[in-house]
Amino acid sequence: MYYYIVNPAAGRGQIKNLQDQLRGRLDKLGIRGEWVKTTGPGDATRLAKAAVASGHTTIVAVGGDDTVNEVINGIDHDNVAVGIIPIGTANHVATQLGIITWPQACEALAARRLTSYSLIAAGQKFFLSTLTLGFETDLDKTVDTTTAGLRARAKQFAQSLGHARHFNSLKCRIEVDGQFTLTCDLFTLSVANQKFLNPLADNRLIVALSDRPKARLKLGSVVWKTLRSGGQGTLDDTATTRFLADRVVIETEPPTGIMVDGKVAGRTPIAIRLTDRHIRFITEKIVADFKGAIGPK
Amino acid sequence: MARKTHDDAFGAAGAETMIGAGVTVHGNLVSESDVTIDGQLEGDVTATGDVTVGVSARVKGNVHGTNVTVLGHLKGNIVARGEASIRETGQVEGDITSAGIAINSGGIFVGRSKMQTIPSLDIPADAPIVEVKTKPAAKSKS
Repeated sequence: MYYYIVNPAAGRGQIKNLQDQLRGRLDKLGIRGEWVKTTGPGDATRLAKAAVASGHTTIVAVGGDDTVNEVINGIDHDNVAVGIIPIGTANHVATQLGIITWPQACEALAARRLTSYSLIAAGQKFFLSTLTLGFETDLDKTVDTTTAGLRARAKQFAQSLGHARHFNSLKCRIEVDGQFTLTCDLFTLSVANQKFLNPLADNRLIVALSDRPKARLKLGSVVWKTLRSGGQGTLDDTATTRFLADRVVIETEPPTGIMVDGKVAGRTPIAIRLTDRHIRFITEKIVADFKGAIGPK
Repeated sequence: MARKTHDDAFGAAGAETMIGAGVTVHGNLVSESDVTIDGQLEGDVTATGDVTVGVSARVKGNVHGTNVTVLGHLKGNIVARGEASIRETGQVEGDITSAGIAINSGGIFVGRSKMQTIPSLDIPADAPIVEVKTKPAAKSKS
């Protein structure tokens, strides 16, 4: 049976206006299930743990990235499937799974296409999507990127570009799998599960980092992509350095904050490792779209 | 350096490894995909795919890969299952063992080279000769 953990504060209380429509749609699809609401931070983890303990095998996070993160931190069984109905302010995880709107999410829950991903541990916390540090983390503290609209975007870009020009690169040292160390002047760094970007690939950490672009035009391009990346950092083709690993230890001088799925989650130095904790996600990603997929002849 | 697209970089074989120009690596680098080095590396490189030592790269260590292309500076041995190539800006101080070798005008190579045959094409001298009969190709109707 489906177990829906609902964050009533997500997306500035969007669920209040949406609840009846949403439950009606789920009912029509035959996946109505049990519906519980969180009462504060950390509650989704507690509810997820209780749901697993009482035998539920499909848990749906109804909210944004914070809700999803709390839910996955409450699941320690491989046989539990996690779904998402994205109604938060930030829905990066859902977007990465190909789920953009709540009606689409309902269809995806009914279709139940599952892909298993290994979780990443940063310190004591588990996450699925992306960890970032450097310029992008600093940017989030100084520029409000939540407001939409052309004028707001132009203002965000101007503020971000100004910030980028004055941002001092961090001296960074990364120890990788105990096999090599990498040192550089760091502008921005991202860590994610490679499989999350390409379901055909193995579960491995992909670490992507960039030094500060010297040319203003290039810097502007990087800033623009950062604003539009949805928390993905340099995991696209702007990275100048990229490699795979199972465990990295990141030190910076000076120490800096790290963000996980768009939320501040600690500071360097930090050890990040791929865990053997797997979660099966209900996804909309079409495997045939990915390089290496063997299609019908 | 030619930049691969996002789709090229995140293939099913795993993302390629790239070491940027401002980066220094100490230790051995192992990759199941392609490797491109534009920075400084002290240690061995072992790749299932191709290895490219970029124009600005300084590598001190041995390089193992399918095809190895050197445009920068490498002090160490190359073992390539395919071709080892030194471009016009490349310098190699070390031995090369590969199935093929190409050195462009301007490239510098100080060392020994050994052509290594591809094992799957080795035919033993005493292998039996087998006669194979084939049907003539059907005539086309066009």
